[in-house]
Amino acid sequence: MTAHRTKPILKLGSIALAFVVVLATLALANRSSNPPSDPPGRQGADLGAPPRNTEEQVKSLQRQIRADPSDARGYAALGDAYLQRTRETGDFAFYTRAERSFREAFRRDPDSAQAIVGEATLALARHDFREGLRQGERALALEPETVRPYAAIVDGQVELGRYRGAARSLQEMVDRRPNLASYSRISYFRELNGDVPGAIEAMRLAVSAGGGTSENVAFVQTLLGDLQLDAGRVSRARRAYGEALTSEPAHLPARAGLARIDVARGNLESAARRLRQVSERLPLPIYLTPLAEIEIVRGNRAQANRDLELVRAQRRLLEAAGTRTDVDLALFEADHGDPRRAVRFARAVFASAPSVRSSDALGWALTRAGNPREGLRHARQALRLGSVDPSFHYHAGMAAKALGQRGTAARELRRTLSLNPSFSPLHARRARRSLADLP
Amino acid sequence: MKKLSLLAALAAAAIAVPLSIGSSHREAPNISLDPAADNTDTYAFTAKDAPGALTVAANWIPGQVAANGPNFFRFDDRAAYYINIDNTGDGRADIRYRYTFKTKVNTSGYQHSVPQVTSLNDPDLKQREFYSVVRETHRRGKLRSSKRIGRRLRAAPSNVGSKTMPDYSRLANQAIRTLPGGVKVFVGQRDEAFFIDLGATFDSINLRVPPGNAGGGKDDFSGQNTNSVVMQIPERLVTKNRRAVSSPGAANAVVGVWASTERRKLEVTNLDFNRGRAPSREPRGRRGRRAPAFAGRRVRRAPAFVQVSRLANPLVNELFSPAAKKDLYNRTQPATDQRRFGKFVLKPELARFINDQFPAVNAPENNRTDLVQGLLQGLPGLNQHKGIKGPPAVDTMKLNLGTPPASGAENRFGVIGGDMAGFPNGRRLGDDIVDIELQLVAGFLKGNKVPLGDGVDQNDKPFLSTFPYLAAPTGGFESNPSDRFEPLHAPVPAGGGPVQQAPGGPLPLP
Repeated sequence: MTAHRTKPILKLGSIALAFVVVLATLALANRSSNPPSDPPGRQGADLGAPPRNTEEQVKSLQRQIRADPSDARGYAALGDAYLQRTRETGDFAFYTRAERSFREAFRRDPDSAQAIVGEATLALARHDFREGLRQGERALALEPETVRPYAAIVDGQVELGRYRGAARSLQEMVDRRPNLASYSRISYFRELNGDVPGAIEAMRLAVSAGGGTSENVAFVQTLLGDLQLDAGRVSRARRAYGEALTSEPAHLPARAGLARIDVARGNLESAARRLRQVSERLPLPIYLTPLAEIEIVRGNRAQANRDLELVRAQRRLLEAAGTRTDVDLALFEADHGDPRRAVRFARAVFASAPSVRSSDALGWALTRAGNPREGLRHARQALRLGSVDPSFHYHAGMAAKALGQRGTAARELRRTLSLNPSFSPLHARRARRSLADLP
Repeated sequence: MKKLSLLAALAAAAIAVPLSIGSSHREAPNISLDPAADNTDTYAFTAKDAPGALTVAANWIPGQVAANGPNFFRFDDRAAYYINIDNTGDGRADIRYRYTFKTKVNTSGYQHSVPQVTSLNDPDLKQREFYSVVRETHRRGKLRSSKRIGRRLRAAPSNVGSKTMPDYSRLANQAIRTLPGGVKVFVGQRDEAFFIDLGATFDSINLRVPPGNAGGGKDDFSGQNTNSVVMQIPERLVTKNRRAVSSPGAANAVVGVWASTERRKLEVTNLDFNRGRAPSREPRGRRGRRAPAFAGRRVRRAPAFVQVSRLANPLVNELFSPAAKKDLYNRTQPATDQRRFGKFVLKPELARFINDQFPAVNAPENNRTDLVQGLLQGLPGLNQHKGIKGPPAVDTMKLNLGTPPASGAENRFGVIGGDMAGFPNGRRLGDDIVDIELQLVAGFLKGNKVPLGDGVDQNDKPFLSTFPYLAAPTGGFESNPSDRFEPLHAPVPAGGGPVQQAPGGPLPLP
């Protein structure tokens, strides 16, 4: 319900400070055990009144904790509220606050299932999927009749490539409580299995079910837009993104969605403008890389290089901090950096989270590093569920082409372009050229 | 300048990366709040102007702040909302009224409405909510009949404000309809009728003016709205022998009422997809649909909908079930309450908590058969079903339809205040639930009468004397939530003296 407030996600002035905070946090390496500077409260769900917005919820929980500092549930709820604040603002400082709140909850109740689920969510957000899954299972063992631990369990299983187990957990989750959280996860699971119409059906249910905050609704509306776009329904996708922005005018993923619409309609200039706005607020590889690729296609090589340099700088910081890398960065290195480094990244990602997305990244990195044989093997693994992600097929097609497997290459590249001819301005062009080049 | 923004972006990236939130995995929300499905209050009473009928009001989406544009409040189009009536006392619904919704949005814009909306069919109302009502009869938990009694009915829209909707009450009254059989319905936004000093109650019962019987509380729901279903059903349509109730002692006099919400069940693996077919059209509002067989293997038969929430007696799930059991409560039926939740009422954590905060109260902490009776079984000779092996303990709002409405002013303490037509014999809009339940838990029915309360005695807006009884909602422009304090007054009930609050109680909130 913060919908009517549009504000820059990260204000310039606060950034320097935030930077210092991050360095300090890294240096201290989580040794601090001070309570959150502003403490927490009651489970909002208990008496029926949903918080008007998350900011207000945080304040009310803080008041409550001040009144009763022994309240483990209050601290756990505050941690949850901080996790939601991160979603809404993109300000990762809230993760640190969430972590401290959960730790305070554990000091009061070492078996607080709510706080364990919170820690699981945090671990997943930091891409420690094994830990997320472990914590989720622990919470469920403590409180077997509840629903919330299932979300963490399902997310962990999906990212670890344990799809059969994920299907079972997810069915149990939705049987217990069909809502935005379970419907949207079913949608993703169906999408991974190549069932885009089924994924759209589930995501529509998620949108209709809504949630406690407008950010949650905007999030699933955006995903619905992405699915519609992948199914070739551009105007329906446009409407879904528009609805997401009505729910939450500052929702960056929906703005990035509008850029995808522009690409589909051939309006690269507008797409670049939108992505630039988004990445100025949240400079993540998922926004910067397509932006750079659009600039390359438009012939603005210098601008593209500046955008790519930002991603590289991120990668350097990340290596310096010794933090685990992710699929996006591996793909980035494969396309725009050093393919051997990409292979190193992708192997690490694959070792920690052997999902189809990791297989795809590893396969593409290997192909780009001159090892298309192994690359194709992994690309096939990435397609084992029947995914209809055009980039998976593109990567498989290019690997096959490098190996001289003409039939496979032609089939996969045609599939790529029929799934979504504008899946990426740069790679769609390359896919077309490669298809024409085939002997 | 360029350099500065690059630096800024890098700094932001430094925050982003170590705690990566990239797209590398789908971070779907893990919500604990689901206001569109969570039942918040259920009322069941005999209205003064409709003595031969059961009046029920059920609320969803509570605590709405009226100024919430551009997002306004509506029911979930893909959920099913129920009013349930048990006329045999076994905790299984015998009559169910199912409400399903369809919201149509004028695609010319995203606006909810533009000036001036003077009728429900006014083209200035861009977002229109339609609903239909199905009456189901069940016997021993099995569906016997199902009939659509209303379709394409209009729900009253959210009150946007006086410029767009100059005469909201008149507009909303157009949503009152009488269906075949004489069932009167209203669906739409209403004033939140619940009143409580939420801040004080959940701040470890931090009473502003102890012991809470002399006013001074803050009405934290004042000025807020909710979405309601209100219906008035002739007695013969709800009693077990299909006849009107002749007297309070009649065998058909007591009915148990609760509201519930169901959402569509969904298979993770889409069977239509696996058989190479387009997805079948969404089943809307049909029940008991059998899951199709898949590749020759038998697939478990599954209901098409799953219950996600239910509510009868106020605060029972909130105050008595432990956190680990609240989800279970919401997906089970009242019939199994005794087995699953009886023990938590028998030995309520809340009694221990009250004693901890107010040692002088001395609430009994064990063997609270009085609470089981008051809330789950019904009071003997008033709203209790006999049952086969004694009165069943089921969380339904048990109302004796033969009890005449209060002749004069209603007593907000209901039965414990000597007004037999109030809570826990059903629940009227004005019954002071927080005070009554605090006093019940303190041991009123066991003779331990302590004047505990939250200091809020009534709703901020007067209720209507005619259907739909709930007051009209606050408009968006007029929004001014939560500024009402109950005026101080002489203690009611009298006495009790100052109940001293123990300093800093160690127990967690219930």
